[in-house]
Amino acid sequence: MAARAYTSNGALFVALTSMALFTLAYGQISLSLGETFAALTGSGSDTLARQIVLDIRLPRVVAAILAGGALGMAGVLMQALFRNPVADAWSLGLLAGGQFGVALAVTAAAFVGPAAVSFLTFFAGPSITLAAAAGVALTAVFMLALGRRVGAITLLVVGLMLGFTVQGLTSVLLHFAARAGGRVYGGWSDASFAGVETSTLPWLAAPILLGTGAAVATAKPLTSLLLGETYAKSLGVDVTTLRRVALAATVLLVAPVVAFCGPVSFVGLIAPHFARSLAGTARILPLLPLAALGGALLALTGDAIVHLPWEQHFLHLNAILAIAGAPVVILILIFSPAVRGWR
Amino acid sequence: MLSTEKLLVGYGSRAVLGEVDLSAEEGSFLCILGRNGAGKSTLMRTLAGLQPALGGRALLQGEDVAAMRAATRARRIAVVLTEREFSPALRVEDVVSLGRQPYTRWQGSLTAEDTRIVDESLEKVAAEEFRGRYFDDLSDGERQRVMIARAIAQTSSLLVLDEITAFLDLPGRVEVMALLRRHARETGAIVLLSSHDLELSLQLADQVWLVKDGTLRSGTPESLIDRGLVAGAFDTADVHYSAAERRFQLTDAD
Repeated sequence: MAARAYTSNGALFVALTSMALFTLAYGQISLSLGETFAALTGSGSDTLARQIVLDIRLPRVVAAILAGGALGMAGVLMQALFRNPVADAWSLGLLAGGQFGVALAVTAAAFVGPAAVSFLTFFAGPSITLAAAAGVALTAVFMLALGRRVGAITLLVVGLMLGFTVQGLTSVLLHFAARAGGRVYGGWSDASFAGVETSTLPWLAAPILLGTGAAVATAKPLTSLLLGETYAKSLGVDVTTLRRVALAATVLLVAPVVAFCGPVSFVGLIAPHFARSLAGTARILPLLPLAALGGALLALTGDAIVHLPWEQHFLHLNAILAIAGAPVVILILIFSPAVRGWR
Repeated sequence: MLSTEKLLVGYGSRAVLGEVDLSAEEGSFLCILGRNGAGKSTLMRTLAGLQPALGGRALLQGEDVAAMRAATRARRIAVVLTEREFSPALRVEDVVSLGRQPYTRWQGSLTAEDTRIVDESLEKVAAEEFRGRYFDDLSDGERQRVMIARAIAQTSSLLVLDEITAFLDLPGRVEVMALLRRHARETGAIVLLSSHDLELSLQLADQVWLVKDGTLRSGTPESLIDRGLVAGAFDTADVHYSAAERRFQLTDAD
């Protein structure tokens, strides 16, 4: 089992590194691998290549890897926490909640006046992460409470509807915010890793690192929650504390992603299934690195496809992710015994 | 030894059963019998430390169950319940391995000793051949056997099993009960089983706890039958328990 995990993690790591190098080298302007390495290590003299690789492509690649990894791990946590194979930050509306939080903050600042907007712009990193975190946390608490009353499918549909509602509300809010002069986060409603700059990367990375720590710490008790609350309790787990920690980990992982990359769909939903099939177990701890690497690979591949040197730029990240993800979800809905048998 | 001192069980402020004073020796196989709603499950949950007692205490080897640390309790008491829980993507092996969780370090990974115990537990319930299958794909009978294996893997001194035979057919029930009795004999664990299977329980149990109208009577099956208590607890207008034939009979044979 251990050998299998090492092989899977190793293979995924190699694939991810190759994809990252490809994305760094290839695009509207193609660079050779040698030029890319030179730009990365700073040994080259070509300033244009350095600019393209370090300032334009690298932040995007790092953001895709961080966000994909975070969503993959959050998906593992949420599927265990909700005991629902189609749970993830996107499908249960947590991303929508975070988006709404950011939209509210931006609108409020816009109405307060230019000072508030410039304050928000200046502290863009922490402030929109906090706003997103509040939205994600509130939605998560609501969905957890709802999850105790309704079945897996109902919860999924509610989550998706919540997404639509919030999308509408966000769009309306930003409409008025723009009128009031707050064009700060205008074009932000579709998922993309391209908006992340080198200076904002730490705001993306720090919460994700903290969230990863909490996820790892909670992995063992969370595994026993897969058997249900009573069994977890009988195995010595303090279920209330476990729920809180796992929820906090989810918020830490998800909030920065929605704040900086928007509502990235499907990654968190299918990465855990991918990880489980590779690991051959549902134990949480071995799933975390696999889901992180798998999620990162999926996000980065989606981003790479979007940024291929197309004649026109109409491709959206979520469109690519939907083509990869939606069929998987359909298969899960049809074949997963947990979904079939649920009420 | 498991014992209770003036134990009062129930939900909120409503007591359903008590005060109960009883004791059970190591290695004994006990059956709790009673009509639905008599308070069997409440009593078992309280003994397992899953809910607080309304009064009195339950002691396992002299230690108050309610006052134990959760981690300690998990090593001493294992539980199997009726409820059919869905366990997304858990394999049989994962489920049984969870029985070792109270003993593992923070990563939850198994030592060679843990793996040996898991293997033995699977073997004990004859579930080795489906160890790699998904838990959710099993039949009710297989599922209960796996949950029993998980409880056995917990190497606890008390096993509490609440109406786990409800979904099984008669051979399945006999098999499970014989297995639990053997486990009690072999390991010295106290096995406490609530069941609707009166005749089988009265044949196999070392001791029977009979719950009726908020009180509990305990004794060997023979003594309870001879004192007419079994009949007293279960007789209705239509059926009565025949002490001579050790089975239920229709009251009106015409």
